[in-house]
Amino acid sequence: MPRIITCFKWVVDQADIRVVPGTDELSLDRVGYRISEYDRNCLEEGARLKEQYGGEVVGLTVGIPGAKKSIKDALSRGPEKAYFVTDPSFSNLEPGQTAAIMAAAISSQIEYDLIICGEGSGDLYAQQVGPRLAEMLGIPCAVFVNKIEIKEKEAIVECKVEDGVEVLALPLPALITVLPDINTPRVPGLKDTLAAGKKPVEEITLQDLNKSFDPYLETLNVRATSMERTCEKMDAGSEGIAKMVAVLTKAGVIS
Amino acid sequence: MAGVWILADNHDQILELLAAGRSLADDIGMGLHLLLWDREEKSGEYFSYGADEIILLPALADGQPLSVYIPLIAEEAAREKPEVFLIGGSNRCKELAARIATRLETGLCSECTAFHFNQDLKRLEMERMIYGGVGVQTVASTSKPQMATIPPRTFSPGSPLEGREGKTREITGALETPVRVLEKKAKSKEQVNIREAKVVVCVGRGLENEEDLQLARELAEVLGGEVACTRPIAEELHWLPEETYIGLSGQVIKPHLYIGIGVSGQIQHTVGIRDAKTVIAINRDENAAIFEVADYGIIGDLYEVVPQLTRAIKEKVKS
Ligand SMILES: Cc1cc2nc3c(=O)[nH]c(=O)nc-3n(C[C@H](O)[C@H](O)[C@H](O)COP(=O)(O)OP(=O)(O)OC[C@H]3O[C@@H](n4cnc5c(N)ncnc54)[C@H](O)[C@@H]3O)c2cc1C
Ligand SMILES: Nc1ncnc2c1ncn2[C@@H]1O[C@H](COP(=O)(O)O)[C@@H](O)[C@H]1O
Repeated sequence: MPRIITCFKWVVDQADIRVVPGTDELSLDRVGYRISEYDRNCLEEGARLKEQYGGEVVGLTVGIPGAKKSIKDALSRGPEKAYFVTDPSFSNLEPGQTAAIMAAAISSQIEYDLIICGEGSGDLYAQQVGPRLAEMLGIPCAVFVNKIEIKEKEAIVECKVEDGVEVLALPLPALITVLPDINTPRVPGLKDTLAAGKKPVEEITLQDLNKSFDPYLETLNVRATSMERTCEKMDAGSEGIAKMVAVLTKAGVIS
Repeated sequence: MAGVWILADNHDQILELLAAGRSLADDIGMGLHLLLWDREEKSGEYFSYGADEIILLPALADGQPLSVYIPLIAEEAAREKPEVFLIGGSNRCKELAARIATRLETGLCSECTAFHFNQDLKRLEMERMIYGGVGVQTVASTSKPQMATIPPRTFSPGSPLEGREGKTREITGALETPVRVLEKKAKSKEQVNIREAKVVVCVGRGLENEEDLQLARELAEVLGGEVACTRPIAEELHWLPEETYIGLSGQVIKPHLYIGIGVSGQIQHTVGIRDAKTVIAINRDENAAIFEVADYGIIGDLYEVVPQLTRAIKEKVKS
């Protein structure tokens, strides 16, 4: 009966990011936030494993106090309890810091057999927090996994590698990062949302951890990338098609 | 002894990292060291491509994963103190990089697409994508080694220099891990190369059935192009091979022409076509994001538009 920790991150919705006109600066003034897309697969996998093997599943997130908004959403997707590790200084953490904070929080008070992370976070997509966390906790890890089975005290996982699939056996406790194709996340219903509101949330502060977490990476700057395109729209129909054929001829792809 | 260290788990990437590492090592004024476990007779070739030294790791025993090398590499790095450590961006190597960086208590720039050695500040300034591709972040490591993983095909391989030599040093140590490789399932290599194609017809989830791929194939055929797709088509639906999906976690392509059909145009996809010369989109939703990054867009049902377009091109070719 595994005790599972599922890790999720509260990230900006990149579709809301605007470029400050006339500059290459990004404006994050009016952005919305959400649970990182692939962490929904992570939460789902925790819930699925619990349905299959029993045990318990909790959620864990590290973020600024505002990230509290993520918790109810996460709890409606399966975990019985959430751990919220928070401090106003936890904005723009780099992966090395995030992993260190998570390791400190887990070691101080969460018991587990399995930790699940997403393949990569929606904002940084560093694909580092999972393996770094495993290393800090001194447990085995498997990354880019699209199938998990638990047998006795082992997890049997299929990892995607460039030339195929590698099947690994990991003794528990272990950490696994999952690919988005491992499952289809459920869409929480009204009942799940109501139940989520009643689930316990444990807040862990920086003071509780009694440590400092310095970054290893310094961000020198962030620039907008741009794609200059004509953006000409046309309707379907013979006129549009004829125009498109002209475009293709001009592009030199039909002769 | 410092130096620039490189490591990758396939030949092509080793050559790329040798090229990038060589010029960096010259900039810094240090040696270039390649970590290798493969005992085939390729060392001569790697010296000619720029390695000053090969650090040879012990061979893997049966059933041992690559991650078994992590403690050994980290210990050697702690002793030798490389200035920079570049690692190939394959799935296995990304894990290695993150865990080695953790042991060495240093930073890691994931998926670094460009870097530059700042001579004044004596630091490596590394670029990577952020927010799905909306921005480029430049980072520097506050500790050493300065580490990065490099996605495949970021640098071109250099050319060999006849007669260039180097030395090989073996390191030894026990290889132990509780993780066992139970099985390796090789995948059949399908010969599709969307990176070389001049014309790419890309399908997205707007396609309702696998059979409808035929529509894209016919259009690709009249244009002499290849069929590519978005991530969910390859990874969730498995309609097309994984090497054919475009984007942040897939392929980055630079064709003359990209035609997206039933593709919504999320940034994680469109970062892969930034350097396409002309972008065309067919989508029935006039507000689809793909139209903002397309030169020409047709608002309409792909099931009507694509066959018409294919027919019109055929007629044009005939005339
Ligand atoms: C960290 C991260 C990395 C990612 N990496 C990648 C990546 O490398 N590559 C990638 O592709 N994605 C990637 N994604 C996923 C990406 O965000 C999108 O979810 C994905 O690209 C959407 O695929 P789609 O356009 O095929 O599907 P959808 O978004 O579902 O779009 C389908 C489109 O088809 C249109 N449509 C439907 N029916 C018709 C019709 N009959 N005629 C015409 N149009 C029709 C709809 O209007 C819609 O716009 C990543 C996501 C994350 C979070
Ligand atoms: N702040 C965070 N809180 C909880 N989990 C996180 C956090 N950041 C990253 N993770 C987990 O680590 C995975 C990889 O993140 P990254 O290394 O940033 O790509 C994510 O999919 C999450 O599962």
